Amino acid sequence: MPNEIWVTAEQQGGKVKKIAFELLSAGIDFSKKTGQEVAALLLGSGLEEAAKSLTPFADKIYLLDDPSFTPYTSDAYLMSIASLLKEHQPSLLLGGATSTGKDLFPRLAMHLQTGYVPDCTGLSMGEDQKLTARRPLFGGKVFAEIAFSEARPQMATVRNNTFLVNENPNRSAKIIPVSPRIDPFSVRKKVTGFERAAGAKLDITEADIVVAAGRGIKAPENFKIMEDLADAINASVGTTRATVDEGWRDLKDQIGKSGKNISAKLYMAFGVSGAIHHVLGIGTCKTVVAVDTDPNALIFNYADYGIVGDLFQIVPALTDELKRVLSSE
Amino acid sequence: MGLPLTPDASLLTASDSLEVGMEIYVLVKQVPDPEAIIKVKSDLELEIENKYFTSFFDEIAVEAGLKLKEKFGGKVTVLTLDNRRVDALRRGISMGADEAVQIADPAFEGSDQFAVARTLAAYLKDKPFDLILTGRQAMDDDAGIVGPGVAECLGIPHVHSIISLEVDVQGREAKVTREVENGKEILTCPLPALFTCQKGLNSPRIPQVMNVMKAMKAQIKKVDLASLGLGPADVGSQALRVKVQKYLPPPKRPPVKMIKEDFPENVKTLVKLLREEAKVI
Repeated sequence: MPNEIWVTAEQQGGKVKKIAFELLSAGIDFSKKTGQEVAALLLGSGLEEAAKSLTPFADKIYLLDDPSFTPYTSDAYLMSIASLLKEHQPSLLLGGATSTGKDLFPRLAMHLQTGYVPDCTGLSMGEDQKLTARRPLFGGKVFAEIAFSEARPQMATVRNNTFLVNENPNRSAKIIPVSPRIDPFSVRKKVTGFERAAGAKLDITEADIVVAAGRGIKAPENFKIMEDLADAINASVGTTRATVDEGWRDLKDQIGKSGKNISAKLYMAFGVSGAIHHVLGIGTCKTVVAVDTDPNALIFNYADYGIVGDLFQIVPALTDELKRVLSSE
Repeated sequence: MGLPLTPDASLLTASDSLEVGMEIYVLVKQVPDPEAIIKVKSDLELEIENKYFTSFFDEIAVEAGLKLKEKFGGKVTVLTLDNRRVDALRRGISMGADEAVQIADPAFEGSDQFAVARTLAAYLKDKPFDLILTGRQAMDDDAGIVGPGVAECLGIPHVHSIISLEVDVQGREAKVTREVENGKEILTCPLPALFTCQKGLNSPRIPQVMNVMKAMKAQIKKVDLASLGLGPADVGSQALRVKVQKYLPPPKRPPVKMIKEDFPENVKTLVKLLREEAKVI
């Protein structure tokens, strides 16, 4: 039986993403059942700090620290990871359902002729090392529990906030440096530029708290009150398709069927009617708050807490109240 | 198990075709409309309301193909793997695609995304393509496996979720922008390549009524499994790498708690609930 569980620890600028700690925490849980070791796979360059941050969360860190891994290209990553996987044959390979995960994992699975389940919202592990993955279909109208064939590794990408980060992981990883295994002639894609999104906020798929306004915000400049609220609680600002189609907000902040699925711990929607396109994107948020002037707005059917009210009154007051209670701690 | 990987992508290159423009294939799929009601009928069966549309991201891919054809000349072929529905092909034709191909065979029933990708690649492998386009994911299983999977089988590069696309036909290179978490990444990629398309790349054209009528009568080329050199063991339930064990209804949220106090007490109560009950702030 394979004796390792692997997690690709995605990092950006040398800082490991939260999803990696969530997945390693899940891996530690699984390992208690299966008796396997948990290994983090860390690729990039200048990774000393990143490796250090992972040490308590794994038994091993396979460290591929080389300039050829920054920025990410599927060509370089795939060759190196595939070669390592063939050598060590772990039973499981997990990664975040991020732009990198979604670019790399399907291709890697096809390359390895193994099974892959994308965008999972739950995983469970049997003592026989067999994974069952849970994921939404049709934008979350239905969920499926999915099993894998005998091919290994079993591969899955997982949404943010599916697992809690273990506060006491208590591991002490051995760092295993691995030299890159890249044939330079087969790196075909070249990253030639990067435009950083305005503002320093996390992407709405990665933020623990997302606040959003829909058409009810009436004008693009009114999003200022949303930004203020977000700043008070370290949230990111999302929106609906309507405001994106109006050109008020950037597409990257659109929640819903043709935008992004978010899995925040807290989602607060203001002046969002709750069209099916939108609510399909918030199904796996833990707590949902809805504020709208229309008591019959559909969004209330998908919320945990609701207020019938005017967002222009509620949002600034909420910002002040949150600032007040948080500063008195 | 499966097809051998194509050893050398350059074998696939049709440099001759460049003189007459670009040879573009677009992978499309007809999927349940976002408004369609979908319910769990039994552990392994879904009840899907008969309301279908062409997956929105696939329409964006068709539009991207048509724009390139308008610029450089050439041909756009829409391709689907579906035993029943050819509406996505007709949609593609009505938008302006030149040819439509349906891969269909009873053996495909119950195939996973990997088998679909291998089959599409088996069809494409000896075609003179410069570019393969598809949506970033089909709006049914939302998996996003088939696009990158096809690229892997064909041994060509891919970029997932592009929001801009420029092609240098002479240089046989594409410049694309990909959405990432904290911004946009700009890449160059040699052709032939496969790109999956994201909202923002373009606005798909609405076909004219005349073209819709014409598309209804357009001839669709039908391809079966055997003609692709594949057998029943390569697809369907015999080739599954992942298998649905059980369908479940979505987890239900408890009924909404409406905070009915007047302003500003309602705001204070909300904050209290978020801190003490939900414990999220």
